Amino acid sequence: MLTTQLLLLLLTLYMHQPNDPRFQIYSLSERAITIAFGTEISESLLIKVTNCQKLLAEKPFHGFITAVPAYANITVYYEPLITIKSNLRGKSCFEKVSNYITDLLAQPVTENTTHSNTITIPVCYDDEYGPDIAEVANHHNITVNDVIRLHSSAIYKVYMIGFLPGFAYMGGLNIKIATPRKATPRKIVPAGSVGIAGQQTGVYPLDSPGGWQLIGKTPISLFNINNTTPSFLKAGDDVIFKPITANEFKTWAG
Amino acid sequence: MRIRILKAGLLSTIQDMGRHEHLSQAVPVSGVMDTLSARIANKALGNDDNNATIEFTYADAAFIAETDLLIAYAGDGATLSVNGQHIPAERPVFIPALTTINLIPTQSGVRTYLAIAGGWDVPEVLGSRSTFLTFGFGGFNGRLLKKGDILNSVDKTTTISAVLFERLKNTSVNYPAWGISLRDFELMDKKTIRVVAANEFTWFDKASITNFFSAPYLIGRQSNRMGYFLDGPVIERVKPAELLSTAVCLGTIQVTGNGTMIILMADCQTTGGYPRIAQIATVDMPKCAQLRPGDAVYFKQLERDEAEKLYIEREQQLQQLTTAISAKFL
Repeated sequence: MLTTQLLLLLLTLYMHQPNDPRFQIYSLSERAITIAFGTEISESLLIKVTNCQKLLAEKPFHGFITAVPAYANITVYYEPLITIKSNLRGKSCFEKVSNYITDLLAQPVTENTTHSNTITIPVCYDDEYGPDIAEVANHHNITVNDVIRLHSSAIYKVYMIGFLPGFAYMGGLNIKIATPRKATPRKIVPAGSVGIAGQQTGVYPLDSPGGWQLIGKTPISLFNINNTTPSFLKAGDDVIFKPITANEFKTWAG
Repeated sequence: MRIRILKAGLLSTIQDMGRHEHLSQAVPVSGVMDTLSARIANKALGNDDNNATIEFTYADAAFIAETDLLIAYAGDGATLSVNGQHIPAERPVFIPALTTINLIPTQSGVRTYLAIAGGWDVPEVLGSRSTFLTFGFGGFNGRLLKKGDILNSVDKTTTISAVLFERLKNTSVNYPAWGISLRDFELMDKKTIRVVAANEFTWFDKASITNFFSAPYLIGRQSNRMGYFLDGPVIERVKPAELLSTAVCLGTIQVTGNGTMIILMADCQTTGGYPRIAQIATVDMPKCAQLRPGDAVYFKQLERDEAEKLYIEREQQLQQLTTAISAKFL
């Protein structure tokens, strides 16, 4: 009886091989696996995610297609028909890619090799362009000018691109202007609108439905299909919003 | 080769195998919904699998051959007909200039793929000819096909296409006795959709999981190329945690805040924040692409490694088909 229990215990231990505590790997589909570094939003996780993305770009494995960074994880897409024929360790593609990435991440990280770009985005905060700016000010009992000052004096971090092509989720919003999403989303938010949702800020790259509080609008285009990299921003970028007047906005656009 | 659209039908777009390189910038894959049918139509012509096809949704469409054509079609949405004469699917067909081709409804599916020797000639946008309707780029000017549109094929064709064209060229519609059979691809049980448990599978309660694997779920009316809503027993959460936005893909089944499930389809977003209950086996996605609102499906659990094995077997089967066609005509 005891032997059976011991065997079971050993088997359990074997089945649950101690995962690398630094990350977990799970399957998304036959063609994708996700490497999760945590479950919260933090700059240290962002560094791990962008580092992993960089390592994969430098040393792709057989069948690698692309990698999609998210807040706390990165998803790696591959073509199983190619990967299965590779000499990576493991029986299935899932094992092969998991082992490859585990080895890749075991290499010592060269600190701070990824310097982030700082990108300035001009924003007109007039209520014509930011229809919710007064609501945000009222919500916090501050003036519209305070909202503009607070929004344009921080350096934001792009955590991920998602939701819409080129839509950057940015963290670093001052808690004094953090505002919940609108109860009823708008049917159409015009492209270029700058919004707030909780402690995040972002810019709508394309006309789309959306529930973020709109506090301004940029004349620049954040998504252009004619560019080889269509998204203006990428995960890891630093972003500054620079206030411009309605006149400057119009000349920029025209 | 050139056609003119006489009747566009409900939702007709140009699609290839999709846009895969810009997922990190949240550019959706798009592409054909039923990859198997589109690939078979292309293979029947000696085309590359990735050549652009027209994806027709249901029937009610018609077009005219402005030049001689070498076409093939596949998919359960419609059958093609010339003057009441049925044209067989899944094989190359020669159509003489000035012939009018009608799409006739079927009772079985939704989508039909029309391939042409060389593929439909539309510009590549971000590495693909697929139409992404939501933001109007790719395909034919980023939009649905409409009456009067003129579509050209790419002039350069494969040697197989050239050989087929010469052999089949005639004064009337002509096709060979052979064809590829979609039935060779184990799609018979149309109601059973095989799935692998997703990462948040354990976030849902036991009764909901039991329902998930036993109750019928109906394809909802609000279903389109982005996703299908499912009508059926609600999926309850045991874990109230919030999920941070993370990558999702074709075949991901998300559970929304009110317990409704959504199957993500070709035009889906690249990331999502709803917990994921399951991932549909890629080999069963072509079946999903042919489901109509009101159709009932049952989900059956599969192990991750089995799904991968089925995927590889399917791909090998498709490769063998290409080899066999090459051997026949080269």
